[in-house]
Amino acid sequence: MTEPIITLRQVTKRYDSHTILNNINLTLESGKFYTLLGPSGCGKTTILRAIAGFMQVSAGEILFAGQRINDVPANKRNVNTVFQDYALFPHMTVAENVAFGLTLKKLAKSVIAERVAKALKLVQLADYGDRAISELSGGQRQRIAIARAIVMAPKVLLLDEPLSALDAKLRRQMQVELRALQQRLGITFLFVTHDQEEALAMSDEIFVMNQGEILQSGSPVDIYDEPINHFVADFIGESNILPAKMIADFQVAFGGHQFECADAGIPDNEPVEVVIRPEDLTLTTPDRAKLTVTIDNQLFRGDYYEITATDTHDNHWLIHSVNPAEDGTTVGLTFRPQDLHVMRFGEKEAEFDARLETYDDLEDDTVDQT
Amino acid sequence: MKHRLATGYLILVFILLYAPIIFLMVYAFSQGETMTNFHGFTWRHYQTLFSDTRMLAIVANTLLIALLSALIATLIGTLGALSITRTTRRVTRDSLLTLNNVLMVSPDVIIGASFLIFFTMLKIPLGFGTVLLSHIAFEIPIVVLMVLPRLREMSTSLLDAAQDLGATTRQLLTHVVIPFISPGIFAGFFMALTYSLDDFAVTFFVTGNGFSTLSVEIYSRARQGINLEINALSGVMFLFSLLLVAGYYWIQQAGHKRRRRKREVTS
Amino acid sequence: MRVSKPTMTWRTIPLTKHRTWAYFLPYGLWLALFVIAPVALIIYQSFFDLGHQVTLNNYRTYFHSATYLKMTANSAWYAFLITLFTGLISYPTAYFIHQLKHRQFWLLLVILPTWINILLKAYAFIGIFSQAGLANQFLTFIGVGPQQILFTNASFIFVATYIQIPFMILPIYNALDDLNPAFINASRDLGASSWQTFRHVIFPLTLPGIKAGVQAVFIPSLSLFMLTRLIGGNKVITLGTAIEEHFLTTMNWGMGSTIGVVLIVAMIVVMLLTGDQKVKGGTPR
Repeated sequence: MTEPIITLRQVTKRYDSHTILNNINLTLESGKFYTLLGPSGCGKTTILRAIAGFMQVSAGEILFAGQRINDVPANKRNVNTVFQDYALFPHMTVAENVAFGLTLKKLAKSVIAERVAKALKLVQLADYGDRAISELSGGQRQRIAIARAIVMAPKVLLLDEPLSALDAKLRRQMQVELRALQQRLGITFLFVTHDQEEALAMSDEIFVMNQGEILQSGSPVDIYDEPINHFVADFIGESNILPAKMIADFQVAFGGHQFECADAGIPDNEPVEVVIRPEDLTLTTPDRAKLTVTIDNQLFRGDYYEITATDTHDNHWLIHSVNPAEDGTTVGLTFRPQDLHVMRFGEKEAEFDARLETYDDLEDDTVDQT
Repeated sequence: MKHRLATGYLILVFILLYAPIIFLMVYAFSQGETMTNFHGFTWRHYQTLFSDTRMLAIVANTLLIALLSALIATLIGTLGALSITRTTRRVTRDSLLTLNNVLMVSPDVIIGASFLIFFTMLKIPLGFGTVLLSHIAFEIPIVVLMVLPRLREMSTSLLDAAQDLGATTRQLLTHVVIPFISPGIFAGFFMALTYSLDDFAVTFFVTGNGFSTLSVEIYSRARQGINLEINALSGVMFLFSLLLVAGYYWIQQAGHKRRRRKREVTS
Repeated sequence: MRVSKPTMTWRTIPLTKHRTWAYFLPYGLWLALFVIAPVALIIYQSFFDLGHQVTLNNYRTYFHSATYLKMTANSAWYAFLITLFTGLISYPTAYFIHQLKHRQFWLLLVILPTWINILLKAYAFIGIFSQAGLANQFLTFIGVGPQQILFTNASFIFVATYIQIPFMILPIYNALDDLNPAFINASRDLGASSWQTFRHVIFPLTLPGIKAGVQAVFIPSLSLFMLTRLIGGNKVITLGTAIEEHFLTTMNWGMGSTIGVVLIVAMIVVMLLTGDQKVKGGTPR
């Protein structure tokens, strides 16, 4: 495990009686790509501003490489920010913008010119130095904003929804480029977004936030496969979330049936929720099915059909299928035990992780037995 | 520390801004005849002011000119703003706007002198009529400038929607456009009113001998030295200004509220 | 005065040509009679002498007379000083007000004095600056002793500055308000101190506000004739004073118009100097 570069300990931010951040703890290691993911107003940008030094937190500590930096002003912190609206100075050229921070450091002109050229080359806009900001397209402004930040050689780069103003195609392209850039520079990126697709695509680790709290952190795969609660499951990807009841370890009941699942460590007969991703559901004939549903509607999405259906207990189902179905017909659904994910009401991340620990071994045993 | 410095500076500036005004009004209650030492409280100067028939007539003239000119300027200015927005060619629109702003940026003396030449050439006798015409003239551009932004805010789809629902051109104007731009029209009217009340230089040039407004009267009396009746007058005028400002902001707020309520209903 | 371009909205309503003209007629008449005609007339009048003869003598007199040229230079110099002092006082004021919590209220307090008749404000200073007035009482109190304050150049500059301050604060405040706070954060983020941020980012980006303020203060300061009379005691002759005198006292309208044309030219020069220049970048906000 590498040295943590940024640590937040019990950070809280209040405005009057309004709590923006509630007891945030997080650790960022060197050289990784982190994402703060959550709906607007969840406090993710506030965390970024606290680390950048644009505001003071009400309580808690912010550490940079082990040193407390709560009282260090923004201009003395070795982190740089890529702003949501880029904040490129309109009265300076592209090169002047990129050189701004270096000029303040009173570096030699030749050094500045060299580093600016290098930064511009890195964002593939080597010949744009003399342009005015107003002459740039959105995507180009985005790159200049990145160049202006990385030319300062920060240990941590903070990115505040930098792709939100770009169109879908450019956004995808920039996702690839940002990820490549991060790996090439080997510095820590902390990326803020409300777009779960973006977060899943780029991150080493995601922090899912809502209402000033971090609900869950983990790798994209972990968070997608094992969301901690209804909010996370619903926010990340598309999902079927159904009320259920835990019968015993690895046995859960919903929709009038009992199913084998991959979760344990929950008291018997506890009411829970079950998540099944639409792409994990397979259409089949009713006689082979675990569940039967009636097809309501379907939309062709290009690489799959998005099918909505209703079961006999009036639960609505969302199914992604490569094969079309026919409206009004009754079809069967199957899924594998590991496609079911059980969520307890009100479970915190620490409890969730501890529970996973206890039966991960157990599960491995059962796998071994079969 | 820095904060304290800023606060101290602001306090100084506000003292500078208000000291002369307060000074003026305080001495309206002084028993003396000059603005040097306060000689004890009296209403005497206000009594003199309110029994000064010449002064009262001038106040009436000033208010009449202000209201009348503001009304007419608002009407013409609103029509002007509508016409400017309707021009199709950019060059035409830009030239109209430039011409509109000529009187906004011209020094008062230039406006006054040129109007004097204009009225003299047309052999219009100087007096109430020329003052009224001049006031209307220099109030129109400010009305246009207050109405234009509201017209610009009005979206095309709003008009399209109204037409789609069967509104005729006249109905469009009376039911959609005018109500929508009314805050701008009100603001324009108030600005015109204050421009008129505030003007001295233009009136001074075109007023002739028989007719006077408050500004001109204050000027001629001030040239003769201190007269605490003017202090009393300043107190009255300050109160009047406060009422105007309050009225202006009240109308603006009411406009905001009404619009907000409307939005709540429609959404 | 800068006005941004209106979008085409209301113009999309089809009106008959006849009706359009009816709407435009009063405004058009105003443009012709009270904007174009007066400017044309003042230029026309400047080519006439006292005997109503067409002549270039007015201009010849103006450009050959040391008195007129000195008066013009003086007027420009005083207007410059007034603008400078107004700016020096107003920028920090606007800046600090913008940082206040109830800034709208404080801004209103800045605007309020502009609603009070300019002559009343000038009149107040006649009292304050008089022999036994408040200013002299203060000077006596601090041990300097009474001075002749009224009817000096300094008192003229002081009162003119006093009157113009709100007109400078407003555009600067608006420019500060228009400034995207992200620019300031970006500057801090890149290592700039508060002062460096102000010098390299805030000040250059609020320059349009200062220019607008200069326009609003400098041009009127060239023509404040009532102040030169009431406060300056005719020691300072501005272009405005000269015009007033030629029109209303000596009745030499030709010469008055000539000075008027000079004033108009000065105004245009100021407008061009402070007008919209192509800035390097747009405003991505």
